[in-house]
Amino acid sequence: MTTGFTPPGAAPGPGSPTEAHLLLVEDDEVIRNTVWMSLERYGFTVSTAGDGLTGLEIFRERQPDLLLLDVMLPELDGIGLCRRVREFSLAPILMMSARGDSLDVVSGLEAGADDYVVKPCESAVLVARIRSLLRRASFTPMARAPHAEARGGAPEPDGAAGPDTLVFGELTIDTLGMEVRRAGEPLALTPTELRMLLEFAGSPGVVLERRTLLSRVWDHAWQGDTRVVDLHVQRLRAKIGAERIETVRGFGYKLRR
Amino acid sequence: MTLRWRIVALVAAATCAAAAAVGVLVHHASRDRELSQARDGARTTLERAALGYARTGGVQGSGAVLDAPGLPGGLRRLVAKGHQGTEFATGPDGPAMWAARPADGQVLSVRIDMSTAMRNISALDTNIILAGLMTTAVVLPLGVLTAERMSRRLRLAAATARRIAAGDLDARISPAARPHDEIAEISGAVDSMAAALQERLLDEQRFTADVAHELRTPLMGLVTAAELLPPGEAAGYVRDRVRVLSTLVEELLEISRLDAGAEEADLSPCPLGPVLDEAIAGTGLSARLRTGTAEGTGQPDSAEDTGQRDATDRTRQRDSADDTGPWHSTDGPKVWTDPRRLTRIVANLVVNAHRHGREPVEVTVAADGRTVTVRDHGTGYPDDLLEKGPQRFRTGVRERGRGHGLGLTIAVGQAQVIGATLEFGNAPDGGAVATLRLPEGPERPELSDLPELPDPGPIHG
Repeated sequence: MTTGFTPPGAAPGPGSPTEAHLLLVEDDEVIRNTVWMSLERYGFTVSTAGDGLTGLEIFRERQPDLLLLDVMLPELDGIGLCRRVREFSLAPILMMSARGDSLDVVSGLEAGADDYVVKPCESAVLVARIRSLLRRASFTPMARAPHAEARGGAPEPDGAAGPDTLVFGELTIDTLGMEVRRAGEPLALTPTELRMLLEFAGSPGVVLERRTLLSRVWDHAWQGDTRVVDLHVQRLRAKIGAERIETVRGFGYKLRR
Repeated sequence: MTLRWRIVALVAAATCAAAAAVGVLVHHASRDRELSQARDGARTTLERAALGYARTGGVQGSGAVLDAPGLPGGLRRLVAKGHQGTEFATGPDGPAMWAARPADGQVLSVRIDMSTAMRNISALDTNIILAGLMTTAVVLPLGVLTAERMSRRLRLAAATARRIAAGDLDARISPAARPHDEIAEISGAVDSMAAALQERLLDEQRFTADVAHELRTPLMGLVTAAELLPPGEAAGYVRDRVRVLSTLVEELLEISRLDAGAEEADLSPCPLGPVLDEAIAGTGLSARLRTGTAEGTGQPDSAEDTGQRDATDRTRQRDSADDTGPWHSTDGPKVWTDPRRLTRIVANLVVNAHRHGREPVEVTVAADGRTVTVRDHGTGYPDDLLEKGPQRFRTGVRERGRGHGLGLTIAVGQAQVIGATLEFGNAPDGGAVATLRLPEGPERPELSDLPELPDPGPIHG
């Protein structure tokens, strides 16, 4: 059922837009067409849909690398579309909100969106966010790469906890195979969730400030919206167990060893 | 005097007055009765004695005497005129009722001793006073209790109203049923006022969000469409105007969100240096970022002055090579704030300084690590602004520059959201000075994990 978090197609490098396939779901015709044209200029392949149900259909059919959607959509709204897509896909979802109020943003992130932008935004901003999300989807931890090469890159035999496997209670993270298991059961994490979990696993027991996570995982500047972090921590907790990530009030979160 | 003590004093006064009135009435009634009894007795005895005297010429055994030595003067004079009468008088032998009449040139009189009756009356007075005191002792605590309860309920209502005024619209006096009295009425009124305010606020927030949606959707089309125009002079104009329009719409939406109270600060410990760096960088304008040193001064102005004179070694351009000092790293001194809003405030102040003032624009952090001043070297803020604060769309004198006059309004609004104060003033040697005072962090234990605030001594960058 799950598509996993394999890098988008055979993308030549992380974040490269070449051949990255985006699905844009937007009901406003002018925005749909102009954003589509802009994104194609940046080298993306873009499919478009004018309402939520058509969007869902096209998503199932073409399996795009990233979903870009408006919150207010006819037929099936952006929040509903997000939720439906998350039932079978881990592809990154970027939400565009014109209201920009907490209701839109929070419910979108709860429904499974990875990030959001507030309209109106220039194409450059939109493209930067899209690239950041695609990079995450094709993410391989750089720190681990030399180590893997030294060992000839041989994959670990199934089930064995090798040096590339981190264990936290019933949670095991295979940093080489990018696989996360909870009590032996493989977990389906979105690239953003996985990236965040790796940040936590990199320094267990250490408090990570929300803004640190925001800049490391989302590439957002200091002024970014930390609700994105909070809602992703909530989603991650739901998957790996609520007690695994501790809230340090006012500061951030830490992974319990 | 509080309402409670006023009620208590009133209860005490009422009880005492009632006791005193009863006492006086009873005292007079008893005295009158005793006197009239004695008078009747004296008169009867005198008449009987007079008859006996007329028959026998003697008064022995009748209880009356002739020419009694203690007879009061008034009665004696009355008898001398040929009348008869009675008089109550207190003589050397104590209080007594006298009756007298003339008898053959002599005065025939009867004296009835009243010292026992008078003693009884004073005993009665004492008892009445005691009873009054006891009644007061019983009633007063009851009054205190009632007053206390009323006062508590009124104070609760006042405290709740203050909380509502301070922005806590969820505050309610009590949902519990209360005795149906005037205080319950005012409590209900305050509660329904809060509910109405909350409803209106939510309406306004909804409206703001809807307006935002309706304005931003066509604007988004306009922004992306303008980007697609082939380069040229006309396209440049369009893009420039679209950018101005976008900024104006965003600023108006921001103000209406601030007005609607829809903004909530996202507070966290933030390194001040990088936030200010980013704020200045975001404007694309030049501003010097300095950190002042403490010379034992608490005054922001003098702190700024001494800071500028004595800490010139700390002065540097934003982009200069020594920008790697500890103060500028994310491990530097931290403030408890919402960096998004702080950036917005400082950026607006810097933009305003460039637009209406003259370079150099300086952003200074005082030695306390929480006071940020933005100053320019122009003609200073107009008097109108210093007096009334920033007003929307008022850019002061027309020739001062461009802008919508929303930047400072937003800065003030955002400062309120993060709990900071923003004051506008002019430097004595010319130039506008905006002073932003950030609030202290929350409870100490949480802050203890943080690095120390900037050392008052020179910082080596």
